Amino acid sequence: MIQVNGCLFLLLILSALGCSLLGPIPLDFVRAFENIFLPDPNAEILFRTRLPRVLLGIAIGGGMAACGVVLQALLRNPLACPQMIGVSGGASLGGILGLIFFPHWLVPIAGGLLGEISWVPLAAFLGALSSMVLIYRFSLFHGRLHPYHLLLSGVIFNSFIAAVIMFLNSIVDFYQAQGLLFWLMGSLSTRAYLTVGFIWAYIVFGFLWLWTKGLSLNLITLGEEAAMQLGIETGALQRQIFVASSLMIGAMVSVSGMIGFVGLMIPHVMRLIVGSDHRLLLPASFFAGGIFLCWADTLARILLAPAELPVGIITAFFGGPFFLFLLYREGTKKLAL
Amino acid sequence: MNRCTRTFIVYFFASLLFVLLGLEVFAGEALPQPAQAAVPRKVVSLAPSVTETLFALGFGDRLVGVTTYCDYPVEAQRLPKIGGFMNPSLEVIVAKKPDVVIGVNTATDPAKAREMERLGLRVTLISVTSLNDILTGIKSIARLMGSPQTGEQLVAKIDANIQAIKKRVAAAPRRRVLLAVGIRPLVVVGGRNFIDELITLAGGENIAGSATQPWLNLPEEYVVARAPQVIIEAGMGSERQQSGKRWGDLKSVPAVINGRVYSYPSDKILRPGPRVGDALTELAGLIHPECFTNPSNDRRNGESRCESPKP
Repeated sequence: MIQVNGCLFLLLILSALGCSLLGPIPLDFVRAFENIFLPDPNAEILFRTRLPRVLLGIAIGGGMAACGVVLQALLRNPLACPQMIGVSGGASLGGILGLIFFPHWLVPIAGGLLGEISWVPLAAFLGALSSMVLIYRFSLFHGRLHPYHLLLSGVIFNSFIAAVIMFLNSIVDFYQAQGLLFWLMGSLSTRAYLTVGFIWAYIVFGFLWLWTKGLSLNLITLGEEAAMQLGIETGALQRQIFVASSLMIGAMVSVSGMIGFVGLMIPHVMRLIVGSDHRLLLPASFFAGGIFLCWADTLARILLAPAELPVGIITAFFGGPFFLFLLYREGTKKLAL
Repeated sequence: MNRCTRTFIVYFFASLLFVLLGLEVFAGEALPQPAQAAVPRKVVSLAPSVTETLFALGFGDRLVGVTTYCDYPVEAQRLPKIGGFMNPSLEVIVAKKPDVVIGVNTATDPAKAREMERLGLRVTLISVTSLNDILTGIKSIARLMGSPQTGEQLVAKIDANIQAIKKRVAAAPRRRVLLAVGIRPLVVVGGRNFIDELITLAGGENIAGSATQPWLNLPEEYVVARAPQVIIEAGMGSERQQSGKRWGDLKSVPAVINGRVYSYPSDKILRPGPRVGDALTELAGLIHPECFTNPSNDRRNGESRCESPKP
């Protein structure tokens, strides 16, 4: 099963290369590399618009899938996904407020070469943090996070936030509403290497930390009592894992909006392939999520060229049927957590 | 519950659904059309462009309700509101007892329009997809208000404005233009949108004009590949000075090299109303500023100034 992870890692590298080379605009790669620091269209398309996108896609896809694995284990619910625990809703609301009040307030860094700092992701991250604290408080009983409370408060919080967002959307200017909707649908569009680097650092750090908890996650899926009997401090572990995955989800939604389906589907698919050992499942899901989102985004750029499809449409359109097919073929035996 | 009962319940509700659907169609067809009032005295507008048209035609005093987005002219802001653009309140509209309700077919929900008709209201929806639709719409609103000649006059005025701009930029070379309404992600004007027509009339070529969507999310690599000579950002409000910086890293794009990244107040241009002529004038001024310089020493016909544009 370690070989599977090796293959997936190799595929991820190949996908990153392949997706950088593919796009609606055919490129002259020799010229792109020759003129890497010159104002050449080929170089700018490859290094300033495509590469940051591909890198962001891998980080977000991998991060979403890893968070999905962890949440499904933590909540002991096969339907758990990053979109479900209220953090994503809080991030969306923060981002929407940022878009309304500081619509295009960007501070370029190093003349725009490193990218720019925008209020929108910052506001979104702030929203994610505050919703995380809120949900944490609502689900904490006697020092332990109750999975049902966590799930329910997340779902209800998200519905509430959706209502607030729809309300805001109906009072802002019509053309501003168009921009808000596109942002909500999620996009990996970015030219800012600084943002990409920040997200990578965040995701890699969070992922590695979660990975070290792999064995404990295995035990937690056996049930809280069983885990406690086996010497796991479940209360503390649940709290730590919730905070870590929430921080990751908050950062991801802040940058790319709500890109669904990766965090729900990839963990299940990988569980069918590598099994339920989280020490293997987590890296496999990270790699597979990266590969999947990277290709989904490439398709989103190409399919309706010149228009770009919201990447969430692609992830659901290809992911849904594939997932059902796997489910049908494998039966329900391995789907158990 | 046995199988028979379950089947019965399913069939019962399915047939009930069909009956209800049938009733809906029946009710829609059977009710008599409301009597056509000779000249409407009380009008409700469901779109900012309709409100503007009514004011421009001189019928602003007949408006008894407008949307919350209707902010031009200033008088419109003081009128009673009937709700938003996409979600007007039926109750408030009915309470105003209007002789006619005017909306645009891209925004007003047809089901809602039918419901208003069922409540005895006269509803007119005008099309605003193309420039021609807008001008036809102005004429039909004027006809509806019992004064076709004011409509003809207004359209003639707008048309004269359009022709004047066309003549002014006729000799100038076409410039590739990107008109954005959102930045992250990049949302731009596509084809099948009257703004695309305005860009063409103003001597530009919309780089996303080949798209079939009126608005689309454009991958940024497309901007680099099509190398727009002018970038116009609409709807940026007070963030104007930022415009240039946002594109600063794409040094191969001519608009960036030549500092031709502009900010445009969304209000005027983006409304398919009687101000399309003004919007066109401003657009042409951004795309071909050399055709609009030194209006004081306008000795010749004004066209020759555009013949030698800066590269």
